[in-house]
Amino acid sequence: MNVRRLLFACALALVFPLGVQASTAADPGVTSTSILIGGTVPLSGEAASGGVTAKGAAAYFAYVNAKGGVFKRKINYRYVDDAYDPAKTIQATRELVQQDHVFAIFNSLGTTQNIAIRPFLNSVGVPQLFVASGWGGWAREYKRYPGTIGFIPTYTGEGIIYGRYIKKKLPKAKIGVLYQDDEYGRELVAALKKGLGSKARQIVSQKSYDPTSTDVSQQVIALKASGANVLMNFAFGKFAILTFVHVKKLGWKPQIFVNAVAAATSVMKLASASGQTQNAISIGFFKDPADPRFDRDKGMKLYKSIMRKYGGGGQPGRAAVCSRGGAPAWCSGYYLAGMASAYAMTAALKKAGKNLTRKSLMRAVTHLDIRDNPFVLPKVRIKTSPTDRYPIEQAQLQRWKGTRWRAFGKLAPAPRR
Amino acid sequence: MAQFLQQVVSGLASGGIYASLAVAIVLIYRSTRVINFAQGEMGMFMTFVALWLIDGGWPYWAAFFATLAMAFVGGVLLERIVIRPIESAPPVTVVIVTVGLLIALNGAAFWIWGGETRSFPSAFSTRPIRIGGVAFSIQDFGIIGVSLVAVFLLYLFFRFTKAGLALRAAALNPEASRLVGVRVGWMLALGWGFASVLGALSGMMVAPLVFLDPNMMRGVLLYALAAAILGGLDSPLGAVIGGLALGVGLNLISTYVDFVGDTLKLPVAFAVILGVLLVRPAGLLGRTTLRRA
Amino acid sequence: MTRHRAFGVGLQVSAFVAAVAVLALLPHWLSDFRASEVSYVGIYFVAILGLNILTGYTGQISLGHGAFMAIGGYTTAILVGHHAVRDLWTIPLAGLVAGAAGLLFGLPALRLSGLYLALATFAIAVALPPVLKKFDHFTGGSQGIQLFGDPDYTGKGFENVHVAGQTLTFNNWLYYLAWTIAVVLFALAWALLGGRLGRTFRAIRDSEVAATSSGVNLPLYKTLAFGVSAFYAGVAGSLFAIASTYVNPETFPIVLSLYLLIGAVVAGLGSLWGVAAGALFIQYLPSLAGHVSKSAGAPSVAYGVLLILVVLVLPFGAGGLLQRIGRPLTNSIFRKS
Repeated sequence: MNVRRLLFACALALVFPLGVQASTAADPGVTSTSILIGGTVPLSGEAASGGVTAKGAAAYFAYVNAKGGVFKRKINYRYVDDAYDPAKTIQATRELVQQDHVFAIFNSLGTTQNIAIRPFLNSVGVPQLFVASGWGGWAREYKRYPGTIGFIPTYTGEGIIYGRYIKKKLPKAKIGVLYQDDEYGRELVAALKKGLGSKARQIVSQKSYDPTSTDVSQQVIALKASGANVLMNFAFGKFAILTFVHVKKLGWKPQIFVNAVAAATSVMKLASASGQTQNAISIGFFKDPADPRFDRDKGMKLYKSIMRKYGGGGQPGRAAVCSRGGAPAWCSGYYLAGMASAYAMTAALKKAGKNLTRKSLMRAVTHLDIRDNPFVLPKVRIKTSPTDRYPIEQAQLQRWKGTRWRAFGKLAPAPRR
Repeated sequence: MAQFLQQVVSGLASGGIYASLAVAIVLIYRSTRVINFAQGEMGMFMTFVALWLIDGGWPYWAAFFATLAMAFVGGVLLERIVIRPIESAPPVTVVIVTVGLLIALNGAAFWIWGGETRSFPSAFSTRPIRIGGVAFSIQDFGIIGVSLVAVFLLYLFFRFTKAGLALRAAALNPEASRLVGVRVGWMLALGWGFASVLGALSGMMVAPLVFLDPNMMRGVLLYALAAAILGGLDSPLGAVIGGLALGVGLNLISTYVDFVGDTLKLPVAFAVILGVLLVRPAGLLGRTTLRRA
Repeated sequence: MTRHRAFGVGLQVSAFVAAVAVLALLPHWLSDFRASEVSYVGIYFVAILGLNILTGYTGQISLGHGAFMAIGGYTTAILVGHHAVRDLWTIPLAGLVAGAAGLLFGLPALRLSGLYLALATFAIAVALPPVLKKFDHFTGGSQGIQLFGDPDYTGKGFENVHVAGQTLTFNNWLYYLAWTIAVVLFALAWALLGGRLGRTFRAIRDSEVAATSSGVNLPLYKTLAFGVSAFYAGVAGSLFAIASTYVNPETFPIVLSLYLLIGAVVAGLGSLWGVAAGALFIQYLPSLAGHVSKSAGAPSVAYGVLLILVVLVLPFGAGGLLQRIGRPLTNSIFRKS
């Protein structure tokens, strides 16, 4: 890192506010009747299951539009497939900005994907909002990239919560970690160590896996052989499930912690059929559609009715009980995650006022205080300030018992460092 | 020591997965001289079809055999409709068509059934059995057993039946075969049909172990290709042995060579392929062929 | 040179001049963003040109050209991002590094043929991204290398670029950079392959035994073809890194190699003129397919089906189509008495 590049980065940091200021009343993407926002999500390729957050968000915007929109402006949300390939993310985002002239980029999914477009968006003054990734860099590096803001609690916060919990409640822990070998996995591991503090040396084994593998049995076997009695299941999707399955197969009974991105009820139930999931601990911050504890919750009912009406799924009139077989696709928490972000986006647009500019939007986004997002857990606040770029900083510890998550303890802060 | 044994057993289980798809790849290659990149996706798609039947109330075995039958028909149709028209085009063209099939089938599975992970019932018990500190399930070895049975049946078919002879002839020398009355076109279609059955079989054996989703076979295909080459592209038995060797070997290397870990598992597998191709392209059990101009 | 041949050459030269003229003026009719999109077409054009030299002319199938692109792309990214080299100088360097890799690979590849060679090249395409990820000290690992804003990157942060007395928008700069190089490399390929070298390559493709017995030094020419082809892919990769402003192992996935081969087949193996069709196909078909439907998976189905249809209808690609139209035309002009 040489001085030239550092100076240039600082220059870049100044450009964003200048870029935003330079665009005056007629910001692109805003007319008197519409607001055009765009984003990239994987709709094909290996991560295509994640693309459904866009559908959840789109359904919510359709609902808002049906009620008149924001200051009579309808929100047009264009989401484009990037097949989880950062080169495609760049091309698609450039098209959204330079060809479609979107007002802001919203809910683009993926850590490296958003890292790739961050300097570009900041330099042209396009807000990069509610990035669908738990990487801590969005908030940490806001001075360099002021136009960017995340949404969900960071992997750092999550790892620290687990570390502190283990330090306090499991002093004799011998910890084994299974993690995905990329930014997301490594951040969780580093944060775990921070949370453990002086007890970090109780980590007896760390094994990573590559998403191109077909299995993680080799790693789980090695972790068991290391003598660990606590297992951090920092894996994603099917690999998290396979971890539970192999632990059970080996007759191993460690205390398992599973990361939030793999802890959706639908996923856990699948894992429970043949895996060792009882008493696994995780954190939650969104309401889970498949969790029966929210069946009567107002926010959940709103979610389901919006998905039924605007999400193109499920037969109307048939009560969607996600816990039963034949449940519609949107019983997966990913759809709800998108809707929660869309709620925050709508709130920010409202707060930005009738005279909607990128400047007023960024001002709103950095002064959020939302306490009534119906899709996040009760009492979780969405709060930001110009120096606090962590919208959600609280999470609830929960333990898997029987066939569902049960919260325990109080809402925990998800620390920044 | 216990870990070593467990890694070997677990490697055999992974190897069984690679082997089951590798046999299908070898069969198609042997009968049509084509590497079917879509083999895994075809198997995955048929597994989804099986699950659809089972969810619709069909008993497991009924769905199982119905799926195999549909796979056969599908394979034959594919050959007749999509591969036959480009018989005379350069071999690269066929490769591209199989790539197109791969893309289309993967997308179709996402489109029809969505991307979430699902469980798939197993023909064998998945209950863990623990002997001497080593754990495994019957499913793990069931898949190896089924692959070996398939290899044996193929052997019998190729060696002792007229149709098998005709298939072999059609693959080795289509021109001469036509001259002696072999209906080459239908032989090729038969080869595709059988390979499709094996692919579906592989899918239905693998899904209980790794869970079913549209990308289930993506990784498996790569390792299955490596296994097929290692064993010899025209030897079904070689495919099984290659798969098992690969599974165990990769597990042990990942465990005991820190540098490799899991990240470099795939490159190691493909370094093995490169090595095999350069030193002994016929693989462990394949037959070395002389090149004629 | 017979009149027939002279006419053929003349026709090609005038087609070339016309194409260059169109390319030079195209940005005036395209929006700013579309110009950058078409620059990607130019990048694929160069890569497919290279692949065609190898697969179309000498008959050696490569399923690994994405890896050569990655080598070129990373060479540029590492030199610009980590070693403060001006990005333009890295383009030929990237080509040379990739070309060297191609030569290195071409040597052992001599022992392989047909599908075995295809699988060996596929092995490289599969193995390279994890290796790039592993040696992260050198390559930036999964976080990759960001070129945006780098002082050695022309156009730094999407600013206007001043060249030859003109001021270009960044997107237009990308367009002209990619297409100037594409045109030059096309002319080079045309000149090289039109003569003896091309005939030698084609002789190898048609029958290696016959070629050897005619005195062709098989190892030399086959390896040479690999090297040249990889050089082209490396240049394309370098341009790709410049256009994308960012590289990481996922930006050169396995499917890239497959797409390049698709492009070569759609172009028509052994046809230089069809290459543009191949490049257009792989750049635009995915997004066209995406317009058909937004449901997860549907675009892939459309893409796969369309690809199969195109190959079934035109097994010899655009080049084959051109030949089918062109030959009766020239024959009718030079009717044999």
